[in-house]
Amino acid sequence: MQNLSLLSPALALSGLAVLALLADMLVPPSRARNLYHFGWASAAGTLAWLVAGLADPASRGAGSLWVVDAYAQFFGMTILLALVLCLLMGLDYKALPERHAGTFTALMLLASSGLMILVSATDLLLIFVALELVSLSSFVLVGFERGNPKSNEGAMKYFLFGAFSSAIMVYGISLYYGAAGTTHLIRGAAAPGPMLMLGLILILLGFGFKASLAPMHFWVPDAYEGAPTPVTTFLSVAPKIATFALLVRVFVSVLPAAQFDLQALVVLMALTTMTIGNFTAFFQNDAKRLLAYSSIAQAGYLLIGLAAGTGRGVEAVMMYSFVYLAMNVGAFAVVQAVGQEAGSYDLSSFDGLAQRSLGLALAMTFCLLSLAGIPPLAGFMGKLYIFSSAVETGHWWLAAAGLVNSVASAYFYFRIAHRMFFRAPREGAAPVVAGPYIYGAVAVAVVGVLLFGVHPEPLIAGVRASAGLP
Amino acid sequence: MMLSLITWAPLVGALLVLLIPKENVKAIQGVGFLASGVSLLASLLLILSFDRATAGFQFPEQWSWIPSFNVSYHLGVDGLSFPLVLLTTFMSFIALIGSMGIKERVKEYFFWFLVLETGMLGVFVALDLILFYVFWEITLVPMYFLIGVWGGPKKEFAAIKFFLYTLSGSVFMLLAILAMYFHNPARTFDMIEMMKAGATWSPRFQELVFLGLYFGLAIKIPAFPFHTWLPLAHVEAPTPISVILAAVLLKMGVYGLLRLCYQMLPAGFAWFLPALVVIAVINIVYGALCAMAQTDMKKMVAYSSVNHMGYCLLGIAGMTAAGFSGAVLQMINHGIITGALFLLVGVIYDRAHTRDLSAFGGLAARLPVYFGLMALTCFASLGLPGLSGFVGEFLCFLGAFPLWKWQTTISVLGIIATAAFFLRMIQKVFLGAFNEKWEGHMPDMTPRELLSVVPLAVLTVLFGVYPKWPLDLMNATVVALLRK
Repeated sequence: MQNLSLLSPALALSGLAVLALLADMLVPPSRARNLYHFGWASAAGTLAWLVAGLADPASRGAGSLWVVDAYAQFFGMTILLALVLCLLMGLDYKALPERHAGTFTALMLLASSGLMILVSATDLLLIFVALELVSLSSFVLVGFERGNPKSNEGAMKYFLFGAFSSAIMVYGISLYYGAAGTTHLIRGAAAPGPMLMLGLILILLGFGFKASLAPMHFWVPDAYEGAPTPVTTFLSVAPKIATFALLVRVFVSVLPAAQFDLQALVVLMALTTMTIGNFTAFFQNDAKRLLAYSSIAQAGYLLIGLAAGTGRGVEAVMMYSFVYLAMNVGAFAVVQAVGQEAGSYDLSSFDGLAQRSLGLALAMTFCLLSLAGIPPLAGFMGKLYIFSSAVETGHWWLAAAGLVNSVASAYFYFRIAHRMFFRAPREGAAPVVAGPYIYGAVAVAVVGVLLFGVHPEPLIAGVRASAGLP
Repeated sequence: MMLSLITWAPLVGALLVLLIPKENVKAIQGVGFLASGVSLLASLLLILSFDRATAGFQFPEQWSWIPSFNVSYHLGVDGLSFPLVLLTTFMSFIALIGSMGIKERVKEYFFWFLVLETGMLGVFVALDLILFYVFWEITLVPMYFLIGVWGGPKKEFAAIKFFLYTLSGSVFMLLAILAMYFHNPARTFDMIEMMKAGATWSPRFQELVFLGLYFGLAIKIPAFPFHTWLPLAHVEAPTPISVILAAVLLKMGVYGLLRLCYQMLPAGFAWFLPALVVIAVINIVYGALCAMAQTDMKKMVAYSSVNHMGYCLLGIAGMTAAGFSGAVLQMINHGIITGALFLLVGVIYDRAHTRDLSAFGGLAARLPVYFGLMALTCFASLGLPGLSGFVGEFLCFLGAFPLWKWQTTISVLGIIATAAFFLRMIQKVFLGAFNEKWEGHMPDMTPRELLSVVPLAVLTVLFGVYPKWPLDLMNATVVALLRK
């Protein structure tokens, strides 16, 4: 156990989670709301600690099963930022039982702690343990609205699919162990051969479950629809981004996909993921399901960066992940505000939003346009990076397919815009009044979407500085 | 700094509009006129300092924007883009006067309108490909909302069709831009650098990139067979937005064809020339025949745009100074004339709520002012000598004839068809017996309507008798373009 201290932000987060659990037993239900505040404050505190430590070279280094480099720190900050925003959204989410505030907070913190370890892990055993920590916490979080049958259904599907994919991944890990003689990714001198190939493919599929890549995406719509909206937001952002960090570390840096002839598979997965995501989203009438399919498609775009497999590809994945965080959190926050007001997440809840609350409608429009990759929003800069990495490596068709997919996606994103701006409000529909924390999350997200669209240089520079992989 | 002021003033206005409560319609309109007016005034002032003898880019502004990608905020205008900037600021202001009739959701309308104006101006002043693309795309979103909220009966379908159609074109343009970036050893998006590097690329590469760019531009122009979005969007859009669509948005396509395709990919352009002239002829003849078949006046004017953009393409395909000047002049003239036509059709639609050609008759006696203006614009549009439309069309034919004799001859037939449908409209609407149904519903033009149409009519006559003034603006640049 060398250099365990490198992981101290993640471990501290786990410690705070345990604290929240204990407090849950002691704090009376009338004061339970304070535990939510405790949650986001701990996350923000950890984030501040991580940021403050960036300047210190001692915060980076290699441990026995992990490595903390600028790359891991970048993703650590991204995950914590997502956590803070989602916990803020949770404060204004009415369907959460106050009585279990501590449990909810603790599970969110634990899942994030697992994700932070995941982005640093260099050993398949640690990867597996971290992924399980994330999965088990998220299973419970998805089913947190016990009275809501959809929440239960989502949790059940998520759990069954998760158990299945864990088994696949463990099988892959055992094959890797057989081929390399160790579970360590860097130290294992893996001899290419059928056994290793099969092992890597199974591991890729296991990761694909968390990152919602086709063909491991079937749980996504049900779990996203059923989960409490802050949890949906969290699931659509943090685990996906962290898994991509891991995918890039494993399949670009340690075991380059090109070297193992896996590139064709990655290209194929990218194509199917974005196409399935976008073309299924056409037919959704529930805002959360629609965004669920959209998030599948977004994972497909991220895979293009992985398929390029170059330094630019890695930077593109990092940049797009960060931008995706802003635009997806913004969109889900508005969905939560509108859905709560209407009592349903059906797209018709958005009817006439522009006339009821122009600010929210414009914020939603910006986030959706950014997801569709329309300039001058951050999503465009991210996509520009992604597609330029594909063009640079000669993946012409992949870039063209990605662009055609972007056009198709504009159609269903505009279905929401259509309802907000073109439809008249329903009889008696009042302006949407969301809580201050929702407005805060929306504001942060929209500022990010606009700022990194108009002035992306600081983000690109930050990404370039942290893209060096071992 | 002047170009930045011209480009960004409308956007600043748009943001200010957002801050005004939506009940305060007067203030919203005031801010809109102010912002657009600043832009117009600044562009007019620029005429004084614009050097007509210089071929290169003037008033340059360059700042680093995204150094990691070598993207810069680079603006400048030459004789090709400056007339279009003037056209944009002028027509936007005219369209704003026309927008005074908008009564619903005024705040949103002015917001999107001003964002649109910034996007259009940016396209013409940008000298960096990414900046150009960003502005190009910015025009899409406001247009979608402007058609979809304030448009006619099929507005929602028209809006999404416009949006998806143009977006699918522009993503291929983006792909082509990325290809050029990675093919340029300097790894830059700067358009001036790209013009220098482009000539050295292999013809095969130029042809491929040309096709990518052309796909995006042709949809905007709109060149046959990518014109099907246009009649729908034009007919469904509210009057001021139809004006903007016809007067400015279509010009973005032709401008891009000259600026990007011709200046950066000379070999690709030369390779495509035989096809381009055929497309031009189809646009001219087919557009005119389609216009002739319409019973809806607005749809007729929309198809006449397809026909008129064909003249621009024909002029460009001629590869002569006369042809290029004719194409640019035709863009300006078409903007002014068709803008006026849409406004005039809007006038009658506001009164009768129908645009059916056969629903009227004998209006000439009842609405003499309206008839006078309509007749003047129609004659200008069909190319009557002495009015501005003639000069542009004549130059286009003159420029194309040396290279494409047969094609130009066929195109001249298009003029006959154009004359036919405009004259038929005048006959059906203004001459003959008055339809008693409209008795008492047909007052002549209001001062606001006159305010928006008369400046256009004045320019139509002015450019018709003295075309030297606009031609002088572009001459040096056009000559330099061909010398390359």
